[in-house]
Amino acid sequence: MSALVLCMDVGFSMSNSEPGQEPSFEQAKKVIQKFVQRQVFAENKDEVGLVLFGTDGTKNGLAKDGQYENITVHRHLMMPDFELLEEIESELQPGGQQADWLDALVVCMDLLQKETMGKKFERLNIVLLTDLNVQTSADQLDVIIDSLKKAGITLQFFLPFPVDGEDRADGGGDGPGPSAAPARPGKGLSRQQTQGLEMVKNIMTSLEEEDSLEEVYTFSDALQKLSIFKRIDRRPMAWPCQLTIGSSLTIRIVGYKAVTEEKVKKSWAIVEAQSHQRDDVKRETVYCLDDDNETEVQKDDTIQGFRYGSDIVPFSKVDEDQMKYKSDGKCFSVLGFTKQELIRRHQFMGSQVVKVFAPRDDEHAAVALSALIRALDSLKMAAIVRYAYDRRSNPQVGAAFPCIKEKYECLLYVQLPFMEDLRQFTFPVLENNKKFTPSASQLSAVDALIDSMMLVEKDEDGESVDVFKVNHFPNPQFQRLFQCLHHRGVNPDDPLPPVEPWLKRDLERPQAVSARCQTALQDVKTKFPLKVVVKKKEQKTSADVFGSSADEPDAKKVKVDEETEFNLAEIAKGNITSVRLSCLKSVQIDAFAYALLTAPAHNVLHQSGNAELFNSYMQSLKRSVPDRNLQEFWDLLIQDALTLISKDEVDGSTFSKQDANQFLAFEQKEEVQAAPVQEDTGDVDDLVSVSCLFGCFNDKHIIYYICECNSDL
Amino acid sequence: MAEWREYYQNEDDEVEEDEEDSGGAYKISGRDSLVFLVDASKEMFIKGEDGGPSNFDMTMQCVRSVYTSKIISSDKDLVALVFYGTEKSKNPRNSFKHVYVYHDLDSPGAKHVQDIDKLQGEKGAQLAEKTMGSGETSLGEALWCCSNLYSDIKLRLSHKRLMIFTCRDDPHGGDSAKDRQARTKAADLKETGVVIDLMHLTKPEGFDVSLFFCDIVSPPEDESELGLQTEPCRKLEDLQKRVRAKELKKRAQSRLTFSLGEGVNLAVGVYVLARTATKPPAVRLYRDTNEPVRTKTRYFHAHNGGILLPNDMKRSQVYGKKQIVMEKDEVDEIKKFDDPGLVLMGFKPMERLKLHHHIRPALFIYPEEEQILGSSCMFTTLLLKCSEKNLFALCRYIPRRNTPPRFVALVPQREELDQSQTQATPPGFRVIFLPFADDIRTVDAHVGPTASDEQVDKMKEIVHKLRFKYRSDAFENPMLQQHYRNLEALALDMLAPEPIEDLTMPKVQMMDDRLGPLVQEFKDLVYPPDYNPEGKPAAKRKPAESGGGGAEKKPKVEMSEEELKNHVEKGTLGKLTVPVLKDACRQFGIRTTGTKKQELIDALTMQFSK
Repeated sequence: MSALVLCMDVGFSMSNSEPGQEPSFEQAKKVIQKFVQRQVFAENKDEVGLVLFGTDGTKNGLAKDGQYENITVHRHLMMPDFELLEEIESELQPGGQQADWLDALVVCMDLLQKETMGKKFERLNIVLLTDLNVQTSADQLDVIIDSLKKAGITLQFFLPFPVDGEDRADGGGDGPGPSAAPARPGKGLSRQQTQGLEMVKNIMTSLEEEDSLEEVYTFSDALQKLSIFKRIDRRPMAWPCQLTIGSSLTIRIVGYKAVTEEKVKKSWAIVEAQSHQRDDVKRETVYCLDDDNETEVQKDDTIQGFRYGSDIVPFSKVDEDQMKYKSDGKCFSVLGFTKQELIRRHQFMGSQVVKVFAPRDDEHAAVALSALIRALDSLKMAAIVRYAYDRRSNPQVGAAFPCIKEKYECLLYVQLPFMEDLRQFTFPVLENNKKFTPSASQLSAVDALIDSMMLVEKDEDGESVDVFKVNHFPNPQFQRLFQCLHHRGVNPDDPLPPVEPWLKRDLERPQAVSARCQTALQDVKTKFPLKVVVKKKEQKTSADVFGSSADEPDAKKVKVDEETEFNLAEIAKGNITSVRLSCLKSVQIDAFAYALLTAPAHNVLHQSGNAELFNSYMQSLKRSVPDRNLQEFWDLLIQDALTLISKDEVDGSTFSKQDANQFLAFEQKEEVQAAPVQEDTGDVDDLVSVSCLFGCFNDKHIIYYICECNSDL
Repeated sequence: MAEWREYYQNEDDEVEEDEEDSGGAYKISGRDSLVFLVDASKEMFIKGEDGGPSNFDMTMQCVRSVYTSKIISSDKDLVALVFYGTEKSKNPRNSFKHVYVYHDLDSPGAKHVQDIDKLQGEKGAQLAEKTMGSGETSLGEALWCCSNLYSDIKLRLSHKRLMIFTCRDDPHGGDSAKDRQARTKAADLKETGVVIDLMHLTKPEGFDVSLFFCDIVSPPEDESELGLQTEPCRKLEDLQKRVRAKELKKRAQSRLTFSLGEGVNLAVGVYVLARTATKPPAVRLYRDTNEPVRTKTRYFHAHNGGILLPNDMKRSQVYGKKQIVMEKDEVDEIKKFDDPGLVLMGFKPMERLKLHHHIRPALFIYPEEEQILGSSCMFTTLLLKCSEKNLFALCRYIPRRNTPPRFVALVPQREELDQSQTQATPPGFRVIFLPFADDIRTVDAHVGPTASDEQVDKMKEIVHKLRFKYRSDAFENPMLQQHYRNLEALALDMLAPEPIEDLTMPKVQMMDDRLGPLVQEFKDLVYPPDYNPEGKPAAKRKPAESGGGGAEKKPKVEMSEEELKNHVEKGTLGKLTVPVLKDACRQFGIRTTGTKKQELIDALTMQFSK
């Protein structure tokens, strides 16, 4: 945890700018904004204060007798929040005064010291953003440096120009895209600025022994780095344990999760649409029997059970806990050693890699572990171990590989599969299959393509450089999420912004590679005939027929019973209510044979001249309602007034409007007869065959139903 | 109100946030079915050489292992066990002679397994003799009977397979009428989509497939595939392996476009060849009848009690004390970057694939000729070239709609066969998931003294003594095994579950024996005499370094209202630990919605910011 004071110069010189340049004030403000934004979304617990100097007013703890004037403590040390972001957005304005940046530094030191009293911080830091264009009194410099050292406060400077003429912009080098040129060259500085710069160098070199000027940045450089939301940074927990070989060889170890798939920390809460209150939404879960009435039963009247093949075995939680497999606590026990080549990369299981060291304060353990690591490394072997995180967790079998780096050595532990995890599928032969054997020219075309698409290049020194280091990219999911959250937080009524260009760029093939491989790709294209197979029975969605409107997000597909072959949700890709879908699903129809035909849909039929076909189909459908438990479905037709096509609509029809209207009504008797809908919905699709497609429009929804005109027609 | 249940279940799933698909969400379009058609003639019961198990015994063990594995991994699949060449007959309409349907097509349960157990060994042979006996053989009748089993099933069957276990290559002893009938019936079965396999067992003078069975079994799936395994199975392992390779129908998790750029697209199927098997979820049963109950979840308005429709609800998150609200559609939209598919970025040498860049189990891809013609040829060429140049292909992978991208390494894998000519590794690309910067944690390495050559050499001796050949299918999951043994015991009213052998436990005794004095010698080299690695480290030391001392118990300190308010104001509640927050809630009688940190913080914030 660290405490940090942002100290920004808002004096009038900051508002000056050369033509075509953004004033220093604006640049510095953006740096602060981006920084605070990152802190807010990373939700780390660092405390941040904001001190402005050059303000018209004065508000700070040291101001007395005309000392420390025009310095304002805008925000005391606390965790940054949205309020601070909004304040920076709206309240941070250029001031009309100038103040000594050394004075401001003293105010910041004072703030840090007073407000961190009694709390533990790993790091105290002051960030100064100024153009140094002000008269400073250097007489106190030594005292200041001294007390900075004593208090262990570190400093960072953000200036509009590079600190020593030469371009430092690419210092860190992990920012995306090409580095922008520094705002101004090292020359052309005012006398004060030159003087100030000397002082900055003086301070920084006296605070640190080496690399002191690394902590001086230009605004533009900083902005570029800050545009990436902070990566989710977690301190791994230490896992102390003992590595055992047999019964009497024990080595003390400490494990750390080194690589694991990081998830978004927060999940979305459901709130009421109007009030935005979480408490207004109540969730209720009820248990009911699988009978016609769905009789509700109390939770207390239910017990736990498990499936064992076709049997369901009642098995209470208590019994389960009593009888379940129990491991005897955490362990890292060697089962044996094996050749590394016998452990294939694709067999890695689980979601993490653990680095295993000896404890810091135990040099004997370090030597013993080192002996193991080096022995394994020189034999090209790995240890197969039983790993259990703690008493409650299930044991794993995994491999511990030796890892020797210049600076340290450790074991890398990865989980391996259990027999139950594996699926033995056999695939047809590819290589010796005459049909698929590539010709010599095809082979050379792909050869050339691969050569043109290498992501590893040689640099001037002949070293090969990876130009597409995926593990240096921030996870686009988080970047996009935070971008949208920030946008929505500041502009609650605006639509979501587009994906940031740099983020999009990260997900594409590097431009140089893309350009290089054009010819080879064209060659491959001509040498390999690839033809999309058009299947008549392929499911169609509205998108296929009309093309989805370009930027519309795909509605998350409704989960339909696994066993439904053609996904109903796919068919109804529009905003269809799933009430209807699920209802259809629960109906067993041997001909999945209907179109929910709303008024406009009739038009489609008019054009196709199919009114008669449709009408006779509807009649046969109606006849089968009682037999085939279609009542629920029929009710839907009633609800939507989907009836016969009448003469009024299509000339070919033999039905009057009245006929059509009455058509849907069943005699009371029949309705009573309607048997309950069978619940086993396992095979709705059983007998479906698809023979024609009716397109239907509803004013709100676009619905397609695959419709079979069954044998009755 | 069935529709409501359906509806809200979807809602629930959404809120849980995308549980990734690594579990293998198969689109199942019906159930797999498998019929074991086992020869029950006298020849099957002849003991193997050196008193080894008879062919019948081997078959029963094999059937049993399929039953139990089906129970664990795919309990919806249907399995039947039919004997032919029996004396007695038992089949649905008793219309077939010398055919004994032992188990009708059904999902196997504990009872089925028990039944099979009864047929094993010496006693099993006696029981078989008593209940079924050995008699005349008519494979035609048997096949006919099996086809009736299939047609009696009302469920949709997606994959139908029939395995014939026999050691007789000429079952009808030259009776050509019976041969012809069998051929006709086999053809009928194949017509209806049943795949017929032969699991032929040893016979003293050798099993000649060409005599009769070559006309019965289905042709190989693809012309290039090795045809009939001409060697009969001698060993149980071989038989089991052969059965296992056929028993599961391979299914693609999804079919995707693999784009090389510039409109060069091929189609691939994505397969899950390994996924972590977990204990299946519990089902709730009604106490009185033991019948399963369903759950229905609904959302209500807390004040007016009205049912809330999806449009009446939005999603929200709180950052920096600010509530940010979005529509559900927007939450989905945020996750959308591009359409599903694999997009080639370029190639890298294999050594650039780091061992520790692992975040998920790998997938497997294989071309889909049925979607894009020419895919297989293109795919094979890529596979050959990548493998020859020792490269992997780097791709962007979007598995489904509204799913953010991941980068993956496609590692070429050429086909390998084992000694018995069964495919050990299939040809295709392994899909290795690569981490983003966020997934890599900063670990401060511990730097300590390193071992001397002498010490390393001693350890090499130890390693050498304990080496073995690792096989990925050598370890069973003890937790799962125990769970199923427990269920089995309960289902069969056994007094106690059969004990499991925990293969994950080190064989300490054996290791000690093998190592002998090496351990002491090594310890003498690395540890001083007074050092005890098993003892607790000397006193809980120093201020805990980087998260080191999480276990330290702090004395309970009650927090004053003042302090809490201060935290709320500064937004620093997050710095407090969960127990402290819980205590605070208890202390001030604040009700919380849950015990997650965020929920506790929300509750406290609400209380003290008024």
